[in-house]
Amino acid sequence: MKTEKNHKLGFTCAYTPMAILDAAGFLPFRVLPVSNSPDQAGHLLHDNLCPHVKRVLDRAIEKDLPEDLAGMVFMNSCDAMRRLADAWMEVRPDDKVILLDLPATNERTAIDFFSGELSRLAETLAKWSGSPVTEEKIALSVDKYNELSDLANRLNGFMNEGKLEGSGSRMQELINLATSLPVEEALDLFKTEIVKAESSSPIKNGIPVFIFGNVMPDPEFFSLFESCGVHIAGNDFCTGTRMFSSMPYTKNRSIFIQLSKNILEKPPCARSFDPLKPGGLAENVYEKAKACGARGIIGHTLKFCDPYLARLPMVRDKLQDTDIPLLLLEGDCTLRSIGQQRTRIEAFVEMLR
Amino acid sequence: MMKQYFDDLVNGIEAKIEADPNSRSPRKVYALEVAKLGSRLYSGEEEIAWCGVTAPFDLLSAMGVTSCFVEFVGAMLASTGMASNFLDEAEQAGFAGDTCAYHKSVIGAARKDMMPVPNFLIATSCPCTGGLAVMENLAHHFKKDLFVLNIPQEETKQSVQYLADQIKEMVEFVTAHTGEKLSDDRLRSAIENTNRTRKIMVDVFKMAMNVPSPANGRLLSNFGIVIALLLGTEAGVEVAEAYRKGFGETLEKGIAGIPDEKIRLLWIQNRIQFKNPMVEILEKEYGASIVSDELNDITWDPIDPEDPYTGMAKRAISIPFNGKGKRRIKHLQEMAKAYRIDGAINPCHWGCRQGTGARGLISKGLGDIDVPVLNLEVDCVDSRNFAEGQLRTRLEAFMEMLESRPSPWAA
Ligand code: SF4
Ligand code: SF4
Repeated sequence: MKTEKNHKLGFTCAYTPMAILDAAGFLPFRVLPVSNSPDQAGHLLHDNLCPHVKRVLDRAIEKDLPEDLAGMVFMNSCDAMRRLADAWMEVRPDDKVILLDLPATNERTAIDFFSGELSRLAETLAKWSGSPVTEEKIALSVDKYNELSDLANRLNGFMNEGKLEGSGSRMQELINLATSLPVEEALDLFKTEIVKAESSSPIKNGIPVFIFGNVMPDPEFFSLFESCGVHIAGNDFCTGTRMFSSMPYTKNRSIFIQLSKNILEKPPCARSFDPLKPGGLAENVYEKAKACGARGIIGHTLKFCDPYLARLPMVRDKLQDTDIPLLLLEGDCTLRSIGQQRTRIEAFVEMLR
Repeated sequence: MMKQYFDDLVNGIEAKIEADPNSRSPRKVYALEVAKLGSRLYSGEEEIAWCGVTAPFDLLSAMGVTSCFVEFVGAMLASTGMASNFLDEAEQAGFAGDTCAYHKSVIGAARKDMMPVPNFLIATSCPCTGGLAVMENLAHHFKKDLFVLNIPQEETKQSVQYLADQIKEMVEFVTAHTGEKLSDDRLRSAIENTNRTRKIMVDVFKMAMNVPSPANGRLLSNFGIVIALLLGTEAGVEVAEAYRKGFGETLEKGIAGIPDEKIRLLWIQNRIQFKNPMVEILEKEYGASIVSDELNDITWDPIDPEDPYTGMAKRAISIPFNGKGKRRIKHLQEMAKAYRIDGAINPCHWGCRQGTGARGLISKGLGDIDVPVLNLEVDCVDSRNFAEGQLRTRLEAFMEMLESRPSPWAA
């Protein structure tokens, strides 16, 4: 049962099925790598690990987490995340922790297996909360998250059109709120913003650019890009709208199978891919940029992130043969790291003019 | 060039054995079979599959496919002092300096046409994210079909079934590319060979546990991981048997792997692949012998010929790098006990998130059973920044510490 003392469940990956956490009476809370905690995680892990994972662990070490955090739901998205799950159990031994095994591909066998993982999650959460997590309850939560996803994508569309006041940084603020507030409150918040955006006139000051990458949770990041003359015509981040994709389902089939299919087939981040289309990330990036009318593409990824680092050369190769220039930036989740690259962003935007 | 290299190696070792049959040491038999595999991979005459580390090599061999995990190429390039050029090439192509050099060197080699074009590729999600990514890159580069085996993290009924089903699908994928169906007889005989090799290896590792050990810092280096490539073949049986015989003779004669074994070490994960003086320093200056490597162990049951896919699935899931860190640490603790280990060395291979990310917990886990760990900061494949002096200093301090404390297993 939901208790105020112990009711948040942390998560760190855009593949997390938030609806199942909600259905179990927990509040899904994305533990973002944003913190003033000192750098300590490298001792337990290694410095040569992605800053997302290290900062999240720093938060755990420094107890910079909500008091009512009952535990964590980790996804086996990459080696770094697996090691984070290990380290979390060491640093916070009293937390409830589950690690779901997430296949990298989405064939029928993968969908069946991951469906089993989702059902294991529901069973585990039922034990943690003391009340059953039925398929009906999950379906109700999926409905709410589907609505939230639609609204998030509409808002993002408004942001891309220049109709969201506060633009990229406001959008990120809203997303961060939506992954830490009860879904009902997030729905209200998004609806209010949509009403405002619907009646505003578009302001597009900069050059249209498509930006993509993995973890970029600080709203100020987006202001920084905009202050360099970028208009965010399209965007794709795992701390952005990639967390919100609609999960259509029908009532007479297993909800787990349907969620599994939806999750494994949603637009992938670099850690998942289609073996029939090696290098598919490059195609996706190009097509999205083209669709939003971008004149340039900026990729921002974290240092030491194997899924991205290994695929960026394919993105670079692909874009070399097209009319859309690419700028690749590497960061460490801090505004400082991206601030140091301001001149490069400005020069890139200048070149696109 | 590579074909020539492997052919020369094969001819050289064969000539030596022929000239002096007594020189047929286990390590020579092993090196010979590995060189023959290299020669076949580069012959241009066989069906070739580039694979991930946990692919079922015995099954592929039963299907007439010469297969190899790509990291083998990285290790080979490093051991022959050739990796640097390929690493430079990969870095110039945009592959970040911070990634695993096993993979980077392979990418460089592929871009410089130094890897034979495979007929197809089989990626495995275990042991590492980087490994999966490099296979996607290679499939893209070679424009060849890719099959992915998602290796589940834990062994459960469902996870074993999932992997077994994928392996069955892999068989269809291979048939579609080679035109050859899997013959029941060939599969049965491959499994027999795998099980025979396995059984002999269990004996070999048990022998290596003796105090003093017939093993030393060179004899079994890379053995556990590379022998997987020979599973299912007569060659695998022969190599394992050469070790059993060799160790048996050593033990019978009452001699040891190094003359005066004082300190017994466990090597964590993979060896430093390029030429370096570590083993010599350890053995000559400290009487310290690397009696075991983390991957020199059998973590799987014999494969049931009536139900081979289940056994192969369990085997892949069982490797220590898979699953939770806790499981890996428990395995290391068990090895440390079985081998009466005084200290462990973890190279913390630069760029390996899978391995280095567990560094702190491994130190703690072995520390809990009183086995100190030396964590190095070294790239096991890329010798360009190898700081021998620093390494020597760290090694000396660690060895002096070990010399001054009682064995965790005394009394
Ligand atoms: S940023 Fe990359 S390395 Fe870090 S958790 Fe995400 S996918 Fe893994
Ligand atoms: S060293 Fe690590 S990253 Fe490199 S191949 Fe081995 S497990 Fe993968």
